[in-house]
Amino acid sequence: MKELSILAAILTLSGLAPCAANAQHGMPGGTPMTFFVTSEPIGDGGNLGGLAGADAHCQKLATAVGAGGKTWRAYLSTQARPGRPAVNARDRIGTGPWHNFDGVMITSDLAQLHGDTLELARLGNNLTKRTGLTELGQIVPGLNDYKDRRDTDWNYVKTTPYSNRHEVLTGSQLDGTAFPPDLDYTCDNWTSNADPDAPGMGAGPNRPNAQIGFPDRNGGGNGSWNSSHGTTGCSQTALVRTHGVGKLYCFAID
Amino acid sequence: MKKRTLSIGAALFLVLATFHPAFPQPTDMMPESENVPSSLMTFFVTSEPIGDGGNLGGLEGADAHCQELATAVGAGDKTWRAYLSTQARPGQPAVNARDRIGDGPWYYPRAKLIDYLGRRLDRSLIKSRIHGDTLEEAQRGSNMSKEFALTEKGELVNGIGDPLPTRHDILTGSQADGRAFTDDADHTCNNWTSNGEGSAQVGHSDRIGHGNQSWNSSHATTGCSQTDLVNAGGVGLFYCFAID
Repeated sequence: MKELSILAAILTLSGLAPCAANAQHGMPGGTPMTFFVTSEPIGDGGNLGGLAGADAHCQKLATAVGAGGKTWRAYLSTQARPGRPAVNARDRIGTGPWHNFDGVMITSDLAQLHGDTLELARLGNNLTKRTGLTELGQIVPGLNDYKDRRDTDWNYVKTTPYSNRHEVLTGSQLDGTAFPPDLDYTCDNWTSNADPDAPGMGAGPNRPNAQIGFPDRNGGGNGSWNSSHGTTGCSQTALVRTHGVGKLYCFAID
Repeated sequence: MKKRTLSIGAALFLVLATFHPAFPQPTDMMPESENVPSSLMTFFVTSEPIGDGGNLGGLEGADAHCQELATAVGAGDKTWRAYLSTQARPGQPAVNARDRIGDGPWYYPRAKLIDYLGRRLDRSLIKSRIHGDTLEEAQRGSNMSKEFALTEKGELVNGIGDPLPTRHDILTGSQADGRAFTDDADHTCNNWTSNGEGSAQVGHSDRIGHGNQSWNSSHATTGCSQTDLVNAGGVGLFYCFAID
């Protein structure tokens, strides 16, 4: 019963229910959307076509809802390679403030977003399950929404839009910077859909892996939005095993 | 059928836990505790307020309320303390909420029981993490969430998006680090004795509201009457922790 009412709330708030209109985003005359979680993944696990492919995905989804006039960037880091320096997610997304589909401010600036000082970090930003909306205004389903054992199976998840899918790819540390280059935290800088040979989770030698965070701030024993834990691999099915589908955070830089 | 679910869950957990002890969401796969509250419970949100606004009868009155509610659900053998600070008065030093509640770690009312090796399987609250004592801890966050901050009956506390009245304002009188305020303004409804003048600092059990996510120090109430608390988004609930 409780699950049903939660489900109903999600459907209502998410625009999946009939008569929720995409055209409402950004409130007429109000604050335009400059932040969203992708409603759909690219779908090839951790292979996003690099940062360029991920940015293009953000831009495409934004354009589909009339927000293509802005320049969109995926919140992703890449790790250093010989002759190529690391890229920090926090350095890619402009300076804020950023607002969601509803015109609600997610955070005023980079310092609040990442909790650069003790005081800022303790209070936190305004990215929550209620505000971490997709470009369609949907809440991202998380733990305790429509709980089903099959929600770690891609075949089930791809046809069940309200099942748990709250892990968002970031490849970043808590402060929004890239990890050191030795272990993989970015599915080989977002070009790999490979899985490790051995079962397990997170970074390690010969382990394709991506660091993820939670827009609903619930999971991993910490609730970090951008750096909670790793994955079981970089294939699409591996991402789903821990409740992700390969969603991205998108920020407008202008 | 149920047995099969449990054994699949247990097997999956063991596989993952073998390779990665910090597997983050084993609770989904765990058998539910037979009892609510769990015998592990050392943390809860009061299901009901005392009901006289910010007048809790001081720290003693608040502690007694925790103890009474815990006793009613069979957890009265532990020593319960309300997570509340009081401010310094002439001849009376301040009391910090974080110093009243023991050392932890603390388990929530639906904490799962113990595995065959006697290991506690469930998530817990760690004192330094819930207060963000280091920058990394503060940035990463803790287990404190709407689904963790349950009443002693194991029930969710109504928060933003739930049916009214919202009950998510939780009295603490504390700063984000769990310590008493040091300025001259009232943050504790006169050390939890006022049901009229004054103000109380509150946190949000669902981590939503006021543009921040603080569970213990989100904003101030506009007064200390029961009506003032309700207008701000709460009813006068508080957190209870067992010190033993």
